[in-house]
Amino acid sequence: MRSWVVALLACTALGACASTMELSEGMDLSAVPPEQQADYAVFAQRCSKCHSLARPLNSGITDDAYWRMYVEKMKRQPGSGITENDRPPILRFLHWYAGSKAHTDTKTDGGT
Amino acid sequence: MTRAHVVFVATILVALLGALWPGSARALDRTFAGSVQLDENVAPMEPTTNAGTQTFYGFTAELSGKIAVDLSEHVSANVKICYGCHGFETDMAYFDLRVNDELNFRVGRFSPSFGAFNLRHDPANHKLADKPLPYDMGRMLRMRDWNLGVLPSPFPDNGVEVDGAHWFGDTAQLEYAAYAVSGFKASQGELDLDFVQSHSGSLYYVDNNNLPTGGGRVAMTLRLGPGVDLTYGASGMYGTYDPQNKFTYGIFGGDVWLRVGRTNVRAEWLMRRQTFDTSNQSALKYTVSPTGGDFFVKHGAYVEVEQPLGGGVDGILRADGLLRLGNIAAGSPLSNQATVLRYTIGTSIVIARGVRLKLSPELYQFNYTDAAGRNLEVCLQTAVAGAF
Repeated sequence: MRSWVVALLACTALGACASTMELSEGMDLSAVPPEQQADYAVFAQRCSKCHSLARPLNSGITDDAYWRMYVEKMKRQPGSGITENDRPPILRFLHWYAGSKAHTDTKTDGGT
Repeated sequence: MTRAHVVFVATILVALLGALWPGSARALDRTFAGSVQLDENVAPMEPTTNAGTQTFYGFTAELSGKIAVDLSEHVSANVKICYGCHGFETDMAYFDLRVNDELNFRVGRFSPSFGAFNLRHDPANHKLADKPLPYDMGRMLRMRDWNLGVLPSPFPDNGVEVDGAHWFGDTAQLEYAAYAVSGFKASQGELDLDFVQSHSGSLYYVDNNNLPTGGGRVAMTLRLGPGVDLTYGASGMYGTYDPQNKFTYGIFGGDVWLRVGRTNVRAEWLMRRQTFDTSNQSALKYTVSPTGGDFFVKHGAYVEVEQPLGGGVDGILRADGLLRLGNIAAGSPLSNQATVLRYTIGTSIVIARGVRLKLSPELYQFNYTDAAGRNLEVCLQTAVAGAF
C-alpha cells in the first residue's frame, strides 16, 4: 500500500510539473511562420508515426545533405508511409528549423 | 554478464568509434541515438502468494545506445547495445548492403522482420510502459507461469535477411522480408523455449543446433487519404529449438495499423505452435494423448487505441490476452486451456521534449487462481522514458 501511495504522489508531482510547462514533443504552431505551417504539418504527421518528434527536433542536425540522406533512409523504413511527394515539405521544414530560433532554443535548453 | 563480456563489448564499441569517428571523415554520415526508461511496476503483493515475485518488481531500467554509420550510399552499419533486466545485450550489430530500395541484404545480428510491434519495441517509441502481452518480456504479472509472451520482443538473432520495399505512386508501399537466423533455443528435454538461453551472450551468441530458423514477412501500407494510413501484414517463422533438431516451433501472425491524423488504432495476433518431448510422462501435467499430444499452441493478441489529448498528453486504451492450449509441465498452475486477459487505461505525458511520464493501471483476469485464491489482479505501471 505504501508503495502505491509513493508512486501516486510522485506521478502526481511529475504530471503537475508537466501540465504547468505545457510541453509537447512537437512545436507550438505559433512559433512556426504561416508559410512553414503546411510543411510542418507534413513533417509532424509523417515523422511521428514510428517515433517521437523529439528525435528529429532534438537532434541538433543542421546539415541539409544529412537530412536528405536521413529522410530517404526513413522513407525506406517498414510501414513508414513516407512518399516521394512527402520529402520536399519535410526537408523544407527541417531546413527552416535548422536555422530558426526554435532550434537554437532547443539546443540552449539542452534538449534531451 | 561477466567482466570479460563487458570488456569485449567495450572493446568493440571503442574500436568502432575509433575507426569511424569523424576525424578525417565527415560528421555527415554518423548518428548516435539512445533511450532510457525507468519503470516501477506497482503490484500489490499478498504475503501468501508468489504473484509479486512473478514480475519485475521494483525499479527496472532499460537503456540503449545506437550508432548508425553510412559507409556509402549503399552500405550502412548499425550497432545497438541495450542494458535491461538481464544485463547487456547486443540488440543490433549488422551491415545493410542495399542494391536499391527493393533489394537489401542485412547481415549480422538483428531482430528479424516479424509483426508490427517490434518496429517500435524501444521504450522511447511506445507510449505505454510495457509491451503487449504477445510480445511481453517480463513486465506481465505471473510471467513465470506463462514463460512470457508468444514472441518476447526484441528477439535479436544472428543471420541474414533479404528485404525491400516498393512504392506504387503515392498510394501504396509494399514491403517484404525473408531471413534465416539461428533461431530460438532450449536444452534437451525442455518443454518450452528458453528465452534467456536464446538471447544470452553467456553462450557466446552461438546456435545450439545446426539448422537455421527461416521466416518472412509481407506488408502493405496504403495512403487512404491525407493523414490516413492503413498498414496490414503477415509474418511467419519456423525452425527447431533443441540441440538434436527433433522439436519444432512455428510462429505466425497478422497485424493491422490504422492511423488517422495522430490517432493510432493497432491490432495484432500471434500464435506459436510448438512440439515438445513427451518421452518423460512424469514431467507433464496431463496424460499424453496418442494423437496430437506432443504440441501446444499459444495465441496472443492485442488491440490498442492511442489518442493525443493535447498539451503533450496521450491517452491509450489497450486490451490484450494470451491463450495457451495443450499439455504443460507438471506442477504448473496453468491448465491445458489457460487464459489471461488484461485491460489497460494508460496515459503518456510529456515532461520535457523527448521525456515522457507513463502511467497505466492494468487489470489482469486469469482463468486460474494463485495461492491466495485470486484470479483478478491489478497493477500500476509507472515509468519515465527519454530519447536522445
